[in-house]
Amino acid sequence: MLQPLKLLLRAPMLVFLLAAQAVSPAHAAGADAALVAAATKEGALVWYSTLIVNQITRPLALAFEKKYPGIKVQYSRATSSDVALKITNEARAGRLQADVFDGTNTIDPLQDAGLVEPYLVDAAKSYPQDYRDKAGLWTTMNVYFLTVGYNTDLVKGADIPKTYDDLLNPKWAGKMAWTTDPTSSGPPGFIQNILAVKGKETGMDYLSKLAAQKPVNIPASQRVVLDKVIAGEFPIGLMIFNHHVAISAEKAAPIAWARTEPLVATANLLSIVKGAPHPNAAKLFVEYVLSEEGQREVAKAYYLPAHPNVPATVAELKPLQGKFEARTVTPDMARAGIDGWTALYQTMFR
Amino acid sequence: MRWFLDPRLLTSLIVGAILAVLMLPPLVMLVQGSVLSAGGSPVWTLSHFRDLFTAHRGLETMANSIVFAGGSTLLSLLIGGVMAWLVERTNAPLRGLAWVATVISLGTPYVLHVVAWLFLLGPVGPFNDLYRMLGGNGNLVQVQSMGGMILIEGFLWSPLVFLLLGATFRAANADMEEAARISGATVLQTVWRISIRLAMPAILALALFVFIRAIGAFEVPALVGIPSRIYVLTTAVYDSMTRMPPNLGYASAFAVVMVGLVSVLLHFYSRLSANAEKYQSVTGKGYRPRPFDLGAWRWAAGGLILLNFLVVLVLPLLALLWLSLQPYSRGFSLAGMKSLTADNYRAVIEAPNYLELAANSLIVAAGAASVIMLLAAFAGWIAARRGPGGRTLDQLAMLSLVFPGIVLGVAVMEVYLRVPLPIYGTLWIIGIAYVIRFMPFGMRYVYAGVLQLHIELEEAAGVAGAGYLTVLRRIVAPLLTPAMVAGWLFIFLIANKELAIAVLLASPGSQVAAVAVFDLWVNGQGGELAAFGLLWTVLMTGVAFLFFFQSRRGGTDIYGN
Repeated sequence: MLQPLKLLLRAPMLVFLLAAQAVSPAHAAGADAALVAAATKEGALVWYSTLIVNQITRPLALAFEKKYPGIKVQYSRATSSDVALKITNEARAGRLQADVFDGTNTIDPLQDAGLVEPYLVDAAKSYPQDYRDKAGLWTTMNVYFLTVGYNTDLVKGADIPKTYDDLLNPKWAGKMAWTTDPTSSGPPGFIQNILAVKGKETGMDYLSKLAAQKPVNIPASQRVVLDKVIAGEFPIGLMIFNHHVAISAEKAAPIAWARTEPLVATANLLSIVKGAPHPNAAKLFVEYVLSEEGQREVAKAYYLPAHPNVPATVAELKPLQGKFEARTVTPDMARAGIDGWTALYQTMFR
Repeated sequence: MRWFLDPRLLTSLIVGAILAVLMLPPLVMLVQGSVLSAGGSPVWTLSHFRDLFTAHRGLETMANSIVFAGGSTLLSLLIGGVMAWLVERTNAPLRGLAWVATVISLGTPYVLHVVAWLFLLGPVGPFNDLYRMLGGNGNLVQVQSMGGMILIEGFLWSPLVFLLLGATFRAANADMEEAARISGATVLQTVWRISIRLAMPAILALALFVFIRAIGAFEVPALVGIPSRIYVLTTAVYDSMTRMPPNLGYASAFAVVMVGLVSVLLHFYSRLSANAEKYQSVTGKGYRPRPFDLGAWRWAAGGLILLNFLVVLVLPLLALLWLSLQPYSRGFSLAGMKSLTADNYRAVIEAPNYLELAANSLIVAAGAASVIMLLAAFAGWIAARRGPGGRTLDQLAMLSLVFPGIVLGVAVMEVYLRVPLPIYGTLWIIGIAYVIRFMPFGMRYVYAGVLQLHIELEEAAGVAGAGYLTVLRRIVAPLLTPAMVAGWLFIFLIANKELAIAVLLASPGSQVAAVAVFDLWVNGQGGELAAFGLLWTVLMTGVAFLFFFQSRRGGTDIYGN
């Protein structure tokens, strides 16, 4: 009795899957007129971002709205895990709202849950191979370099940390802060870097010494940690984005970043939600952000663009021009290792 | 035979059904979540409860909750109690300031106070700055600690304690105090031997009430506790629900523990407060006891009131003002005076989302308050007049008192993720949670309002031939209006004040003010947070003053028990 019923229920699903197979991954011909028309008809898109709103999310949304006046961008910012959680819950409730999301590790659980729409971005064709997923699940929108940030009023001359070992100096005990963000741009990224550079045994030894220094866990973004360093609440912040430092230094804040090599390099990945309520607007938005024009907006915000033809506003934030060494955590490495690194963070530092 | 045509019974049934549909599923969901294993085919298990004691430092978490709630209860009783006594029972000057501070703090989201206090007591705040200026080394105050948590939570609750104890002191029997004074007792002796003893049952009941609310407090544990690695029950629940993937079993087990604890405490609370009323023998005489003359100490008392005013109100607001005018966060300094900028205010006014979320907050709070007062009008009236099923209605409506805000958030989310009603991620789900959480307050307002009306009015109307609905519409509703308006305003205010309920339910498309402030803090937009927070406080303070005058006029003094 049950079998035919089940089959009947599944039939539409099958048709849907077959149809999806036929059209995806689609190769869109840039921001062509058809896409613009379809997107404008949808009239809106929702972007769940992990970027800092007033620094980049809002300016990018406004620039997009200016270029495509009929499409309203609704954005919000949360941590990687919060964004993943919200989208998963929306899918569970059968009421997806998100169209586009970004983040360093946001995609992992969503990919496992089958909630990411493959889309090969036309505008990103000229990007380096490792900046885009072969299946089109993600494309790098900007790159990050994470390092030690210090307050220039409080940390001077010989005190400025030059190596990771300098962080073990007893005078920094309780005076360092970092985010609780459980991604490769947070403590797990720091941990994997140490383990890779120093080897497992020396690395673990280093980490337990660092844990004894009791770095303060700030349950907020890397930006909040940096603000606390600027305000002088902590002389030193770990896992600080070096472009955030540049943004604040430009406003004459007493802040600089240290060259504790190798720096941690990660990428911010942009993806489309499977079953997004505004699929065309989502595609158009992704095309825009990854186009030269969109990437120039990224650069204007002091973020480090992924586009090979768009230079960073402060070139020294990148390894080649800034003459520093960085070790990249690729999305694949992050996907494979993040659980282990996070577990280490939870047991040693919380 | 035609019982279903009896309008009284029919009303009871309808209201009862609505209340049951609202109140019961979250409770069932919690208990179920705590005893079912995760995964595809759930089986019964007690492993989540075992985990509380073995893994995750569960026992430590529970102990932290009790220390935190106990400490902040004592502190708020001390501050609020002293203020209440000075204002209600002495001739100290500047007494009006205590009222101003209370009303404004009634309109400010807790999370905003916490952000301000974190700055003030933090390493670059004025207190530690002053300490270093006086030659101290390092930090005098370590705000990221259990002590810091208790201090801030104590400050947060002291205005409410002031309000509630003020009512007790005002209604106290002054005969015995007079007698003591005439027999030659000093002011201190009289206070110690007579006033405090008389007020003791009320003080104990209030202490228990504040303790219960502090167990469920979320703002301070989240913003102050987590960075200090001090977890309490609420933050443990929040933490396990915001992990990826969320650990529902663990969160539910903690939630069940909390609900159990709160239920036991509520039982004692209701016994205590029933007792407390017995002591208020002279209420309704309509006279005010003669205030104590403090003599030369008057000015010291005035200084204390002023100090409290500065600490509880002016300092946090000044801190927010300062932060809102700076391009990046920095301590109070002369150098900072040169970099003042209105950029943050410009951003708040120009960015579309702030206006939207402010509108969201107002709509959902007003909607919830209206639904609650409508339901409560029927349920409260039937319960107070001992109508059919009155006791059951009362119990159903009061059921949600056992839910701390964060627990209700988890439960409501799980319920509406499962039922095929697509309201997750909309304002509706927040509205439903508000209705559940604040229904008891609406009930209390109506109940107290009905008890003030003598039943002979309704009987007279009945004798004169008015039907059930006519009595309700022409007699009860008009006379209840002041209590209803006060109740509505009160619910509107606290719905906009609390973070814990909405923090798990708000979505990017359905943001409310308290959650937005929390998000801004987490995201690192401190300047915009301060600017938005201040503008929001101004708006809510207006509502709070409205509430204050309305409840004085309506003669209802219910502030959240």
